[in-house]
Amino acid sequence: MKRTVPLMIVMVGGILMMVQYFIPHQYSQAIFDAYVSWAPIIAAFALILGVGSLTRVHAHKIKRKSQNWQFSWAVLIPLYAMPILAHLWPVSLAGGMDPPSAFHFMFMHVQVSIQSTMFSMLAFYIASAAFRAFRAKSALATVLLLSAVIVMLGQVPIGDLIGKWFPQIGLWILRFPNLAAKRAIMLGVGFGMLATNLKIIFGVERNWLGGAGK
Amino acid sequence: MSAVNIWERMLNIDRRWIFLSIGVISIVPFLTKIGMPVSTTDEVESIFNYVDSLGKENAIFIGFDYDPGTQAENTPMGVAVMRHAFHNNVSVFLTAYTPLGHGMAGGALDYVTNPAVPGYYSRVDFSQWADLRDAGVTDKDELVAAWEAAGHELPEGSSGWVFEGRDFAYLGYAPLFYLVILGMTASIEAQYHQDANENPLSEMPMLREHKSLREVDLAVTVSGSSACTAWVIYGREKIGLPVAFGVTAVSATDYYPYIQSGQIIGQMGGLRGAAEYEVLLKEHGITETTDKAFTGMDVQSADHILIILFIIIGNIAYFMGGFHKQKSLKGRG
Repeated sequence: MKRTVPLMIVMVGGILMMVQYFIPHQYSQAIFDAYVSWAPIIAAFALILGVGSLTRVHAHKIKRKSQNWQFSWAVLIPLYAMPILAHLWPVSLAGGMDPPSAFHFMFMHVQVSIQSTMFSMLAFYIASAAFRAFRAKSALATVLLLSAVIVMLGQVPIGDLIGKWFPQIGLWILRFPNLAAKRAIMLGVGFGMLATNLKIIFGVERNWLGGAGK
Repeated sequence: MSAVNIWERMLNIDRRWIFLSIGVISIVPFLTKIGMPVSTTDEVESIFNYVDSLGKENAIFIGFDYDPGTQAENTPMGVAVMRHAFHNNVSVFLTAYTPLGHGMAGGALDYVTNPAVPGYYSRVDFSQWADLRDAGVTDKDELVAAWEAAGHELPEGSSGWVFEGRDFAYLGYAPLFYLVILGMTASIEAQYHQDANENPLSEMPMLREHKSLREVDLAVTVSGSSACTAWVIYGREKIGLPVAFGVTAVSATDYYPYIQSGQIIGQMGGLRGAAEYEVLLKEHGITETTDKAFTGMDVQSADHILIILFIIIGNIAYFMGGFHKQKSLKGRG
């Protein structure tokens, strides 16, 4: 029972959603609308599970004073503070999401800054990695290196100053060799996804059930 | 000290020197403002020309489908397209694929309508023009005439009026956004009953004229991840919605197949793509100046040159020191 019911739900749901995509009829649309209404509700339950699990793991670390347990506070405090500030804290006390609320301040001046900083640091690491790892060790590595240099220069105005033809070479690399390789990868991934989805819908692939019913 | 040691020392240089040089070279162009020319590519021109062909009877979606990490690249793209649409009186729906993108969309709208920013658009909130709406004035030209006749004067430096509900609707984030796109192919209002400012969509003139994605002319998805492909899968492939991408430089290479197949009309790749759009806006007299992306291109030029220099120096040291004959390097990694 534990296996059969989930398998049936997946099979019926999977086939239904697959078929409705190709049927432009009001009944088909009604089925889809119902699914769209259900999906966020189911996702909300997953969110509750996720928050619960995260809270349990970090509360456990704090309780046991595990290594770097202090950082668990950095996870738990914002996790609860942000929704409380946005939805539960009274607007009269700087609650809500509109400026100049505390939530808005935290988002614009803490979260945005942190994420931007993290991404900006890529430039520093890429420069260091390029210096240490980008070697013309073989013919293929040399081709890769030259392509990278041409595309990098072609993407910035200095490439135009070298010559109008220079960015064109970079664009040619992107539009043809790059495109061919990307298309091959995408087709491979696409067929793989199709095969895996069909295996799941028809119950051939059952790993997603975990150990249920065993 | 032997020659080999010099090369080895060079290869094992403290990485903090590299970090410092990148830091310095990134700051200097901001101070000097060189303003090197940026040429435009077909990929960006096709988006520009498409938006330029639209008018007040048309509507577009701009999806702010990215998180703050990539805002330096992505936000100027959304801002540039929004300015172009506002200039042509095209209605703009602002959406977000992620919760953090919701804030990015709001930030971009605030930037375009901020009086402190050159070439800003004067924003009229939904409640402010309720009387005109109730009187049935929704055509943009008539609306502007009636609004100004009511005693409102366009501030100096403003590029024009933008009316919430007629020129833009800030829809923001909705969970499981790929399903939202699918749902909007039948009805936008079924997915969003109200906008991010809690204004009812049913009362918005732009919603009455554009009820679903089938009545929308373009979706520009500005993205830092593969979220942009959802617009192709569920918008383009199902109902033929024209889609354009604005993606980060690192992921731009992934989407060239979509251009060649005709699934998207064009692509802004990284800061360069945004700078190209800004240049096109200026060349066509839509804006008086370029903006942040164009300024950022000088920084990118300097950084790319430095990184290439590092690669060249690293390879010289590698070969001159004879390390290509060894299996591994000694010293720090």
